[in-house]
Amino acid sequence: MLFLQLLINGLQTGAIYALTAAGFALIFGATRIFHFAHGTAFTLAGYAFLFAWRADWPGWAGVLVAVAAATLFGMAMERFVYRPIQRHEGSFFTVFVAAFGVGIVVQNLIGLFAGRGLATVDTPLSFGTEVLPEIFVAPILWIAIGTAAVLFAALTVFLTRSHAGVALRALAQNPDLIRTYGLSANGLSVLAFAIGSALAAPAAIITAMTSGLNEAIGHQVMLISIAATIVGGIGSLRGAALAGLMLGVAESLALQFVDTQWAEAVSFLVLFAFILFRPSGIFGVAAAR
Amino acid sequence: MIAYLSNLATQVAIFGILAATLNFILGYAGIFSIAHAVFFGLGAYAGAQIALLLVPDVVLACIVAAAIAGGLSLCLALPALRVRGEYFVAASLGLQMVAVTLFSELKPLTGGIGGLVGIPLPTLFGVPVGVLPVALAALALILLATALLARGSFGRTLTAIRDAESAAEALGKNVAAAKTLAVGFACAGAGVAGALYALHTSFVNVESFTMDYSVLMMAMVIIGGTGTLWGPLIGTVLLLSLPAALAFLPFLPATEVGAVQQIIIGLAMTLLMIFRPAGLVGDLSRGQTTA
Amino acid sequence: MNDAPTIRRRGLVAAGLSLPFIRSAAAQQASGEPYVMGTLFPMSGPNAEYGEAFTRGAQLALSHIAADNMLRRPIRLQAEDSQALPQPSVVGMNKLVNVDRAVWVLVSWTASSKAVAPIGDRAKVIMVNGGAVGPDLSGLSPYFWNVIALAHLEVPVLVDYLTRHRNVKRMALVYVDDPLGDAILGQLRTELPKAGGQLVGSFSVPRAAQQFGPVAARVRQTRPDAVYIASFGAQQSQIIKGLRDNGVTQILCSYSAFSIDSVRQLPEAVGALYTTQKLDFESGDPITRRFAADFRARYNQTPVAYHANYYNAAYLFGLLARQLEQANEEVNGESLRQAMLRTRTFDLVGGRGTFDDQGNLMTQMQVNEIKGAGRTEIVQG
Repeated sequence: MLFLQLLINGLQTGAIYALTAAGFALIFGATRIFHFAHGTAFTLAGYAFLFAWRADWPGWAGVLVAVAAATLFGMAMERFVYRPIQRHEGSFFTVFVAAFGVGIVVQNLIGLFAGRGLATVDTPLSFGTEVLPEIFVAPILWIAIGTAAVLFAALTVFLTRSHAGVALRALAQNPDLIRTYGLSANGLSVLAFAIGSALAAPAAIITAMTSGLNEAIGHQVMLISIAATIVGGIGSLRGAALAGLMLGVAESLALQFVDTQWAEAVSFLVLFAFILFRPSGIFGVAAAR
Repeated sequence: MIAYLSNLATQVAIFGILAATLNFILGYAGIFSIAHAVFFGLGAYAGAQIALLLVPDVVLACIVAAAIAGGLSLCLALPALRVRGEYFVAASLGLQMVAVTLFSELKPLTGGIGGLVGIPLPTLFGVPVGVLPVALAALALILLATALLARGSFGRTLTAIRDAESAAEALGKNVAAAKTLAVGFACAGAGVAGALYALHTSFVNVESFTMDYSVLMMAMVIIGGTGTLWGPLIGTVLLLSLPAALAFLPFLPATEVGAVQQIIIGLAMTLLMIFRPAGLVGDLSRGQTTA
Repeated sequence: MNDAPTIRRRGLVAAGLSLPFIRSAAAQQASGEPYVMGTLFPMSGPNAEYGEAFTRGAQLALSHIAADNMLRRPIRLQAEDSQALPQPSVVGMNKLVNVDRAVWVLVSWTASSKAVAPIGDRAKVIMVNGGAVGPDLSGLSPYFWNVIALAHLEVPVLVDYLTRHRNVKRMALVYVDDPLGDAILGQLRTELPKAGGQLVGSFSVPRAAQQFGPVAARVRQTRPDAVYIASFGAQQSQIIKGLRDNGVTQILCSYSAFSIDSVRQLPEAVGALYTTQKLDFESGDPITRRFAADFRARYNQTPVAYHANYYNAAYLFGLLARQLEQANEEVNGESLRQAMLRTRTFDLVGGRGTFDDQGNLMTQMQVNEIKGAGRTEIVQG
């Protein structure tokens, strides 16, 4: 019974990881920018929803505000931070330090204006009830899984059926080709950041309802996203989402076998092992060398 | 004031060693590690245990720390041999996260989260000595070694690996050996810094060896300028003295002091990267994209 | 000749400008250079909520000291951000000791305290902790004092209350495996059997962990009557919420860390119990009542144990320095320590407290229950 309960908990966490990881993977796949401030977009979306909630706005309005906050942040990062840097030397770590600096600024601004410490959105949705003996399930589980499934379906349709989606995938493979076809690589890059960041918003809202928000919450989100993108295989959205789900489940199921303090290390051991033994990831096309 | 500055100088020297050694693998060999704090930690624990259990001799502590950190650098060299770029970043990230868990759990060796306290003040062959001169000497030695290694054939091999690994291999360079050696040297250096840190603060715990510190060291190197001799040192001075200098701002209300300082530091990092992406002493023209 | 008026005017302006400075310098001579009291709290990062609370307590004490004209010289509060990390703490402490010449430093946080204790010890600066309760903070240095009851005083009181009044037999522990968590684990192991109970499970969680659903599942399996939470900061609220959301309906309890606002405002925390030193804001002694009333007036917030602790930590300086000033002794770390050892017993917020030889304040304890929306009630005093 413990196994089933842990699996359920893991799926709930995994759905959140999957959404953020997919956003990160989409951005990285299309633009080759390792978007370290993805966690910051997540944090902003969460707090935007929290403010809307506290102001007694209806739920859908809060969701819109959260999505808008994440999307705008992603687009602003592309336009005002990453693009100027890439014009000179698109060094991987230049981007890293710049994004990290932005993360520090946002984290402390939130601390100044939203108050410090944990903040939660108080809703009965996160409250688990006993559906089977010893099995507690909260309505938020279905919301998390449902949201993740719907968004992935929509994203897949977008990437395969729409012009912009196809162009995005092409950008990932050959930016020069995009230019020869007269498409704007810059415009597509902004689009990737907008969609990728928007994907973090639902995950942030669910987190605000379950484990709550604090200024530094984006940190862990970013780590998991990176891990999932690598484990899933760079360039594969499907892989990143699946890996995110898997990391969530692994972290939870680990408690069946090991003591609680090792749960976090399990995710990263999985990551480490993957890189050593299967660097191309689950769905990776080519090895990394 | 002198004591304050000397403490700051000691920290600059210690973090300067860390930045210089990280720069060695990052700037010259293209190995992007965000696990440097792990080896800093290994050295700190080793140095602390030597001082606590045997003698607080600073040279002995440094040698043992270097040996342990250098030996365990294989954990980092192993993925470095197999993968590059973003994959290696993620691998070092995994190593960093697992190491923090291990540091918190292996209580007999590390004291757990509580850490090791009461580390005696350092001596040199039985004579009490300050950490600052030793740290400065170690920093000078490491900078010298970096300059020599970078100029010699070893350095050329490393830059060849950084710029085109398969070409270097085709030219008959022993890529695996060169990478392992470079990582070993850098991690041993980080170990020395760790031992000095332990003797300087008399207290070590896992909170000084987290990913945040790996990122801080990374930022020092990048902000100063990768692949340059003096860049990392300048980055170190800047990132350590900026918060220290901001602490002298008189007008900040007591409850907002930390947040405002952090915001200024974060802004400085981002703006520097936007306007000087190659770092403060880096060469802007190098590696410029043709777009 | 032509220049003369200009010069004269300039001279006049200069004299006018310097006038206020001269006056302030004279005033300074009368009252003396201010004493510098340093604070070394996390003011940024995930634990900044604590730093803010600690600072408020200290600020109120300083305004009381000034209002009562306790000292001949004013006190200047110098804040440094420790980020709750050892390395920034060492930088901040060095500045306080060597640049600001602080004689009294309010510290917090276990790792931060341990990192700065050797510096204060060498410079003979009094360090007073009112936040961290790890037993490893006792006896760090003769100049390191604790005005908060360390963990070994907290657990027996709670165990006694739970077993007697709440019929608790089986307890589980969710803890961060640091010296504090370790001490609480040890205390529960020895105290519970004495009271006829038993520790049925202990779950160590990493400090950075955020998801507690899976841990809740493991906790439920042990079928506890009460769950003790030994963590701090944002994480303890996450544990409370994680347990409550995932089917743990039993009593939740903790040590004084629960007395921060984010816990007391958390709807899931209603009914949770925690121990603090004795603090009765309504019917206590005049010092406690004055503290509570002025705190509410100044910050529009009901004070909690942390506010009181750092009020006491700062107020204690006023009491000791007044003693020294009256005896015309120099006020420094050594003389302050001697004065403390001579006096030992002080009337502070919460009542009378006595220091032991190592500088730990011994106070009586009480059990509080969280009533929701920031209210708490003393259930056993």
